[in-house]
Amino acid sequence: MTRFILRRLLSTALVLLVVTFVLYLLLNVALDFFWDLRSSTSPNIESLYESRRRLLDLDTPAIVRYFKWLAGVGGCVVGQCDFGIAWKSGQEVTSQLQGAIVNTVKLITASTIVAIVLGIAVGMVSAIRQYSGFDYFITFVSFLLYSLPVFWVAVLLKQYGAIEINNFINDPTLSSWVPIILVCVALGLFWMGALGGSRRRRLITFLAATVITFVTIYYILASGWLQQPSIGIVGVVVIGLGAAVVMTFLSTGLKNKRVLYASLAMAVIGALLYMPLQYLFYYQEMNWLWMFGLLIVTIGVAVGVGLAFRGPDPWDTVRTTFFTGVIIAVLIFADRVLQGWGDYSDQPAINNRPIATIGASTPNLEGDFWIANLDTFTHLLLPSIALILISFASYTRYTRGSMLEVMGQDYIRTARAKGLNERTVVMRHALRNALLPLASIIPVDIITMIGGAVITETIFGWNGMGKLFIDSMRQSELDPIMAYILITGLLAIIANLVADFLYAVLDPRIRVNA
Amino acid sequence: MTEQTSTAKSPVLDVKDLGVNFWVNDEWWMAAEELNYTVNAGEVLAIVGESGSGKSQSSMSLLGLLPSNGRATGSAKMGGTELIGMPPEKMQQIRGNEISVIFQEPMTALNPVYTAGFQIVETLRVHLDVGPTEAKERALELMRLVEIPDPEERFHSFPHQLSGGQRQRIMIAQALACQPKLLIADEPTTALDVTVQAEILKLMRELKSKLDAGIILITHDMGVVADMADRMIVMKAGRVVESGNAEEIFYNPQHPYTRQLLEAVPHLGTAIEGEAFGADLANVEDSAVVHETEASHGTADDVTAGSNDDGAHPPNATLSPMVTEGGADRVSGLAAAAEAAGQPKQDHDDIEMDSTKTYYHPGSQADFSQPSALQLRDAAIEYPAIGRKKAFRAAHHINLMVAPGEVVGLVGESGSGKTTIGRAALGLLPTVEGDMVVNGKSIKGLSNKQLRPLRKEVGIVFQDPGSSLNPRLPVGESIGEPLYLHEGMKGPALSKSVEELLTAVELPTSMRNRYPHELSGGQRQRIGIARALTLRPKLLIADEPTSALDVSVQAKVLDLFEGLQQEYGFACLFISHDLAVIERIASRIAVMRHGYLVEIGKSSQVVANPVHPYTQRLLSAVPVPDPREQRKRREARDAVLEATANA
Amino acid sequence: MSTNNDNENALAPDDVGDNAIEAKETEGLSQGKIVFRKFLRHKGAMISIGVFAFVALFAFSSVGFGPVPGWWIFNHTASGPVVNPGGAPTWSFSNFFSLGQHPFGQDEIGRDNFARVMKGTQISIIVMVIIGLVCLVIGTIVGAVAGYYRGWIDSLLMRITDGFIILPVIVIGSILGKMVGGANGPLLGLALGAILWTGLARLVRGDFMSLREREFVDSARVAGASDFRIMFKHMLPNAMGVIIVNTTLVMSQAIVLEAALSYLGFGIQSPGISLGQLISEYQTSFATRPWLFWWPGLFIIVIALCVNFIGDGLRDAFDPRMKTIPSWRKMKKAERMTQKKVANTTQKEEAK
Repeated sequence: MTRFILRRLLSTALVLLVVTFVLYLLLNVALDFFWDLRSSTSPNIESLYESRRRLLDLDTPAIVRYFKWLAGVGGCVVGQCDFGIAWKSGQEVTSQLQGAIVNTVKLITASTIVAIVLGIAVGMVSAIRQYSGFDYFITFVSFLLYSLPVFWVAVLLKQYGAIEINNFINDPTLSSWVPIILVCVALGLFWMGALGGSRRRRLITFLAATVITFVTIYYILASGWLQQPSIGIVGVVVIGLGAAVVMTFLSTGLKNKRVLYASLAMAVIGALLYMPLQYLFYYQEMNWLWMFGLLIVTIGVAVGVGLAFRGPDPWDTVRTTFFTGVIIAVLIFADRVLQGWGDYSDQPAINNRPIATIGASTPNLEGDFWIANLDTFTHLLLPSIALILISFASYTRYTRGSMLEVMGQDYIRTARAKGLNERTVVMRHALRNALLPLASIIPVDIITMIGGAVITETIFGWNGMGKLFIDSMRQSELDPIMAYILITGLLAIIANLVADFLYAVLDPRIRVNA
Repeated sequence: MTEQTSTAKSPVLDVKDLGVNFWVNDEWWMAAEELNYTVNAGEVLAIVGESGSGKSQSSMSLLGLLPSNGRATGSAKMGGTELIGMPPEKMQQIRGNEISVIFQEPMTALNPVYTAGFQIVETLRVHLDVGPTEAKERALELMRLVEIPDPEERFHSFPHQLSGGQRQRIMIAQALACQPKLLIADEPTTALDVTVQAEILKLMRELKSKLDAGIILITHDMGVVADMADRMIVMKAGRVVESGNAEEIFYNPQHPYTRQLLEAVPHLGTAIEGEAFGADLANVEDSAVVHETEASHGTADDVTAGSNDDGAHPPNATLSPMVTEGGADRVSGLAAAAEAAGQPKQDHDDIEMDSTKTYYHPGSQADFSQPSALQLRDAAIEYPAIGRKKAFRAAHHINLMVAPGEVVGLVGESGSGKTTIGRAALGLLPTVEGDMVVNGKSIKGLSNKQLRPLRKEVGIVFQDPGSSLNPRLPVGESIGEPLYLHEGMKGPALSKSVEELLTAVELPTSMRNRYPHELSGGQRQRIGIARALTLRPKLLIADEPTSALDVSVQAKVLDLFEGLQQEYGFACLFISHDLAVIERIASRIAVMRHGYLVEIGKSSQVVANPVHPYTQRLLSAVPVPDPREQRKRREARDAVLEATANA
Repeated sequence: MSTNNDNENALAPDDVGDNAIEAKETEGLSQGKIVFRKFLRHKGAMISIGVFAFVALFAFSSVGFGPVPGWWIFNHTASGPVVNPGGAPTWSFSNFFSLGQHPFGQDEIGRDNFARVMKGTQISIIVMVIIGLVCLVIGTIVGAVAGYYRGWIDSLLMRITDGFIILPVIVIGSILGKMVGGANGPLLGLALGAILWTGLARLVRGDFMSLREREFVDSARVAGASDFRIMFKHMLPNAMGVIIVNTTLVMSQAIVLEAALSYLGFGIQSPGISLGQLISEYQTSFATRPWLFWWPGLFIIVIALCVNFIGDGLRDAFDPRMKTIPSWRKMKKAERMTQKKVANTTQKEEAK
């Protein structure tokens, strides 16, 4: 296995080298290094040309320049990177890259995780309800998403997701209830389709989902939640208990009382810790290290609770309390972040328009750890949605196809013939196998994401790699473009490695043979 | 329906008027109807039928395991509980607990990502209120019950780490986990090699006496039925044509279909006196003695056939006519027989199971000076390396000769390398050592282009008629292709030849414009044969030509094959895993194991007088479609299995 | 089942039941006809074909193509007087419904948006088709050769495709687009086709590799067929499904890619025209003249959606495992119908 991975790594690295070489030569043809001088009427135009030529070393053949560039990049091995300079701005490429890489990775990681989780969940349900109205709906939606040009969606998101919402937050008057009621009914239908069942059950689901949605929206509007959003202890308790029940259902089924009580206990512990944590957050300046430490503590508590309840299968219990615990931790974190909403909105830099359309963070923002995070999230929101929309569709389609394939396998019939209930058949026997082929599309999808990021970053002014690439292309700056190509290629290689590793973990046929 | 309750036990399952339908193209398509039967505790009911007879679907309907477009009607009661139309939640309590299933393909029926032990434990814990430790204990117990070697270690093995037989044992262990009242075994041994099948059958018999469960055995193999069944049902096209006591049906079939079905089954040991054979397999010398005595009994009835056999080799005397045609008129065969008679029986006890040396029965040593259709001279054959996959040597040191006009059977289990030899003879795989001589010309190291002219003289019939014909070409074009390519034949001349060939394989000439998927399996195999014979080859390689076919179709195709062999007079290397088929069709049999040729001799010699322990094991493992004889064979089989178990 | 069956039928109903179900579906049809029939049954694909044909017909006939004039009074370059304030669309519900002069509106200098969108659609479709054709040809040939011969040819191909998939298409597309782009649609199509073929080649290679193991290929070789004949007469028709389906899917990807590149300024640029270029040109006026932004976007979506659905229909049609499983409702309905029929006949019999 290690040998296999090493060999692949080596061959992809070679391929990347060849790609950079070919693209370097192509770029030398494609880019016009004198574009800004073409329309110049300056009297000393000749010397301007000459100095540009000297600046970019254009008299040296492109092939030789490539190897010079490569030597500079190769310096990274000994800690002395030289990616060249962006000649237009005169900046060093290395300094340009630093922030850009972090921003792009942030954007892509957030979107990928959400897209994978949502895509798998929806794809799975769609496969289980094959040929139902829900399935057709999801199929249509995913084709629609495939067909949506990202840049077009991004412009719409800017208009309706940011500008209009910001307006609405500042002036929350509804012109009509009709769209709200339509949304409620649509969500009711969605849940009815997703959960299925007998006619009676579907009707109940529909009514319940519609009413719950309506009440939620009504509460949000009536209580002015949008101006001062918060979860609060009540929210933490209610959502925490709900998460406990859902996790138990997915993990072992609600019949397993011991696991149910364990995860409910986890929710209660979360609620009890809510107030002490608020004090901690108040008196202690927070940072990510603290957050990480608290997460470790949460996991420790979850494992402890799981083991305390044990039962015949301690690991089933631990798994459930673990997920419940993580959800509750995220809730409390989100709650604390939202508490800064009022301060954040009122800041002059924000001016009561909290949802950002441009950039990765607000300049001149004053605030602590929580405010800074809130700022990042408001900026992350729209570009992430744009990116998620693209890859959500492909995860849904793949999961659906893979799931359908698996559900037709003999071992699923065996599992049914054993007397397992449908939940176990799907979650334990089908899903696990259906995830295997997904491991191989994740790297492909991440590369697509990086491509999508080129567009979204440009539109949302997100200072990442993609924007750097497009800006440099427009300015005919060769070195930043090459740096982009190299780093994206490396990211792709890493993504492939992760996928190989995932595959090996998931598939015993590969793991054991290694 | 004549329901004979031979046993006094109460029925576990009572099926009345059961029907299964499938919704296809806007109408209900009948898969089974009007099924009535009962299964008693401790009894094996075999449901026999060819593919598509509805035997499997009707049994799956008992558990509500039909595909989504299927539905079941009628009634199936289990101790007063109605199974048909039972709500899923209730059905889950029945499945695996009261009724459990053993599926056909152990390879695909176990989940590849979970360990064998986990899958057994899972069944236990769904239905019984047991903790993980206790469940593991029970699972290990079950694994011991189904005789899995090293259960503690195998418990943690993944399915792909187990052999086919072991996987099926896990499947059985899992099915027995909750001590079900009814066990449905859906073709439990079909996917297994014959020696593994024998082991599984032995196991199931033992379990049957230990447990008090009723068993429904679904199978197409009359041998398996004879081995296992107390009562049987014969199904055809979704309906029961005959039911009753197994032995009665075997010896006194009432319905013409049953009779035809039984007649169609090739019967191992027709070349010799079946009754005596097998019981004495364990001891070769004894068997020889028995032969002598048998012979003296037999000679009187065998005047016609025995005339050219000079009585020295009596088993041949009782051959069915076709074996006489195929082999007895051959000079070498006679010589061999004479030699056999002359030679005293040797003691071969010293041959080990893992011996890779070829044992040549008298008269079967390869004599490469003789003219022959196919010669393998100490040949080794490899699957060439592709990319990083290393080359794999699938056959070693093969010395084999097929004389012009002779049919040689090549038998072995999966992975024995028998197909490899066939493909190498066609130049599809390279001979890396020794030499491969086809019709007098060495083909070793020839390129595809150089091989082309030689290909006129060799034909091949493949195993899967569905895959060996190009699905996008009308069959007429497939048949005519060799003529077009080698003789440049076109237009009416080609049409005429194609039509002649179709007539030769007893198909209507109108069929030439059909596509392969429009034909039945038997028809496709006829087309396959016609295509192989287009250029009147001197040598034909037949690679498992009948193993994908139902038994009655197989009989027809074998008849046709024999007729054509006589008419065209080609030599043939007939590759099969089925000894009974080989025995019927070949004059000599070569046995392969793990890439080595272990034994070769005249059919009668090999069948009656196997020398290599592996051949003995192979022969003893084949169940014969005759309950009484099978009962005798069974004991011998179990003894041989025991003796050669460590293979 | 075939009617003029031979003697096997008497004894062996070897395709009754399961097989008969298949046989019934496929009776008397060539593989192509089965695929076609399955395709016709795919509602999404049928509707999409209709819509796409309509859009294409409109796009080519309205503003004309090449020397052929169109029936629409305006063309995409000429500016005229702005009819509605700001150039808003002129259709209205006065007199039941009337289109007015500029149903899609006008831009700030009075050019007719309908003519521009139609011209853009035209170019985008042409680019899409060119990309599809280039991929089809290169992908099929390279994939077939690699899959059939394996060995070093295959390794080389796989490395080349690795090189293409290591970077997002939009990146390589931008660079090539910058090289050839500008106003020339067909040239851009050729360049993009040259990067997009790798996916198809991989799939064709995979298909050829598995086809190569099929017995009919051995059978053809034993019959004396040359490599060329085996590849193109025997294997290619069997790989048609993969090729057609994936070419379609590449085309749906292509139209969005072209639009994105043109939007970024590396594809078709003004004065050239395409749907992406229109959006790029008008994006700043979204707040003031939304129609300039909406229409080209909608046309991209409609075309891509149609092509996606057609691809999906083709995939289902070519997939032998896809059986049309009836919906639960339809089955229930049919059941009720048959019960009624049975009840009727029994009643009649009783009446007699």
